Amino acid sequence: MLGQVLKPSKQFSFVGYWKKVTLMLWAVTLVCFYFADTEIIALDPWSELLLIGQGFIAPDFFATEYLLQALWQTVSFALLGILIALILGAPLALVYHKPYVAAFCAFIRSIHEIFWALLFLQIFGLSPLTGILAIALPFAATFARVFSDILQQSPITTLQTLPHGTDRVSRYLYGRLAHVLVSVRAYVRYRFECALRSSAVLGFVGMPTLGFYLETAFRQGHYHQGAALLMLFIALIGTIPYWCRLKLLPFYFILAIWALPEIPNIDGALIWRFLSQDILPPMFQNQTFQSHGLQSSGMSGAEILSQFGDWLISLLSEQALPGIIATLLLAVAALGMSHIFALVASAISDKRLSGGVIAQTNRFLLLILRSVPEYIFAFVFMLLLGPSMLPAILALAIHNGALIAYLTVRHADNVAVSAHFNHKIDGYGYEVLPAIYPNMMALLFYRFEVILRETAILGMLGIATLGFYIDSNFAEIRFNGALVLMFVTALLNIAVDILSRRVLYSKNKGQLACAH
Amino acid sequence: MSFVRLFTGLALLLLAPSVIATTFTFTAIPDEDESQLRTRFDKVALYLEEKLGVEVKYVPVKSYSAAVTAFRNNQVQLAWFGGLSGVQARRLVPGSLAIAQGYEDQFFKSYFIAHASTEIIPSDSFPNLNGYTFTYGSKNSTSGRLMPQFFIERNLGKNSKDIFKRIGYSGDHSRTIAQVQAGVYQVGAVNYKVWETALANGKVDLNKVSVIWESPAYPDYQWTIRGDVDAQFGAGFSEKVTATLIGMKDPELLASFPRQSFVPAENLDYEAVEDVAKAIGLID
Repeated sequence: MLGQVLKPSKQFSFVGYWKKVTLMLWAVTLVCFYFADTEIIALDPWSELLLIGQGFIAPDFFATEYLLQALWQTVSFALLGILIALILGAPLALVYHKPYVAAFCAFIRSIHEIFWALLFLQIFGLSPLTGILAIALPFAATFARVFSDILQQSPITTLQTLPHGTDRVSRYLYGRLAHVLVSVRAYVRYRFECALRSSAVLGFVGMPTLGFYLETAFRQGHYHQGAALLMLFIALIGTIPYWCRLKLLPFYFILAIWALPEIPNIDGALIWRFLSQDILPPMFQNQTFQSHGLQSSGMSGAEILSQFGDWLISLLSEQALPGIIATLLLAVAALGMSHIFALVASAISDKRLSGGVIAQTNRFLLLILRSVPEYIFAFVFMLLLGPSMLPAILALAIHNGALIAYLTVRHADNVAVSAHFNHKIDGYGYEVLPAIYPNMMALLFYRFEVILRETAILGMLGIATLGFYIDSNFAEIRFNGALVLMFVTALLNIAVDILSRRVLYSKNKGQLACAH
Repeated sequence: MSFVRLFTGLALLLLAPSVIATTFTFTAIPDEDESQLRTRFDKVALYLEEKLGVEVKYVPVKSYSAAVTAFRNNQVQLAWFGGLSGVQARRLVPGSLAIAQGYEDQFFKSYFIAHASTEIIPSDSFPNLNGYTFTYGSKNSTSGRLMPQFFIERNLGKNSKDIFKRIGYSGDHSRTIAQVQAGVYQVGAVNYKVWETALANGKVDLNKVSVIWESPAYPDYQWTIRGDVDAQFGAGFSEKVTATLIGMKDPELLASFPRQSFVPAENLDYEAVEDVAKAIGLID
């Protein structure tokens, strides 16, 4: 339906495709803002904000115990997670064109690392395996999709020029792989940065990474410590090009495996209990117990089914539905805000428009803004603006807007301008913007999937998205409910993904390689 | 899910022969200051090691539910639980026992605190909270969520969703105080000890936030031990642990919890907490 509206029509041929997409986006955003809870309530935030400010002026780098260990663990989980993701994801990319593989990957991908971790926590306990697998699974599914995209877009002409009778391995290595190696490497490097961020965030649910201490420090108001940890985290991400060299990688991997915390013994009974008891709805759990003891079960099959129906309906209507509505309102409002933020930020960070010094300063700011986890922004905005959805919308918009702007500016640098370029906003709008806009929109719509996933973390902060209800179910030790809601979340993400592909992929298939 | 299965299979093959737990492991989340957890509780581990004669290790966890999971999976055999998490843990691990509680935990209480702009007057009778915004602490907290919700719903005779304009879960007692003081929420429920510590440390501005109601007493934090420790560490081990905990006199160790001393406890002490949790619908 969206696709039909966007098709060029005869009546409005003076309105271009991208204008329509943009206006539609803004219109939908406005509607979401209208329905979202954006009330501003905060009487007295200044004393707390002053404390936060003092924390950043005088960060305390020595307040955190086992700090080096936490830093290394953050890197090590990310490295090993990426390694396993590559081992799983690369072969999957070769069969990604099969619909069931694509659907399976989309499902795995759409569940946030935090929830994978909460799930694995039940099976493996507080083990490094929990953290590594929580990163590896969704990342493997992403690799599968992106590698398959890259492979599809690589030229096949080399294959046709190879001598007759060349063996299949050589054909594949020289004809296919050699073409994609550069973009694959660039992409893996970018995903490593994402993995570092995920690794830190896994600390929020108990993995021994930076996030463990970061979350505690902010939650308990130890801002000197929190500020120091945040700065370290940003520095860690900002300096990746300096310490993450290809030659050093084997050394890092060995170190990562060697320095892994002790892996507790894995108990097969725990896994079996989880699969056969914990995740079943309550009425089926009893059933299993009773049939084991060969006691007469008090309920007939029909009764159990009707109880199951009631359970499912109340779960879906009381938690899933309000959760979906809040998640969508939040995500779409954040998407629109991200668009505006990225549009403005990429313009004022363009050298030709705002001059070298200002552009450089803005780029540095963008680097910082995109490195700060949304959680921290939401935390601060909540004090300023109160507990509505507004802090979460702003947090997501700033983080994602800054990321899109950062990538767009890099793209814009390569756009050549004519000799008549007047270094003003109209010149920018006439020559630069049209060149970068399709790619920027592609990035934006790709980020929508990410924004949707990230509402999960904000749910843990108390905004009633699906993540909030999943977290509540885990807190109440109701894994069955949590699992149903995770399934709903995955379906929602897949639906949104299909929709956003409809809007975009048809138009500019060729440009998405660098968009992820 | 075939991935998960493949992986658990692989992991099992790789890891099955690795260390089998012979160390006695415990976990604890203090209700006030959560900084420097390992540094502080490693000292407690050292004390237990000396008295019990087995290797003792402390595992830091992030949340009560993580503590319950670790206890259930036998990754820790002893845990310092809140009232509610203790009940959850003992329901999941049949045979496990509450063995000791803090002296203060025999008569624990919650404070309801309100921002000055609400003009609610402190009183012994339950305040009328209809229409205000309200924040609990962590979702699984006994003093910050379970008991407050129970008192609210019993006194006002309604589901708390229908009483408040907005309900939040700050995640932490210190956060509850900070948020009510900043006016983010108008009213909040907080662990009384955390409030008094914050007050003593000058972190509370009484012109902005004050206590409006004190709850009746209820039992809270306790040490819970798994029922199978005697089989694993020798007969009478559980009693030895109890005696060691109650015999803990070093103020530095006790300050980590922070409690003035530990006294004996039993599962029955927490029946009331369990009933309340059922009444609210937190457990089935």
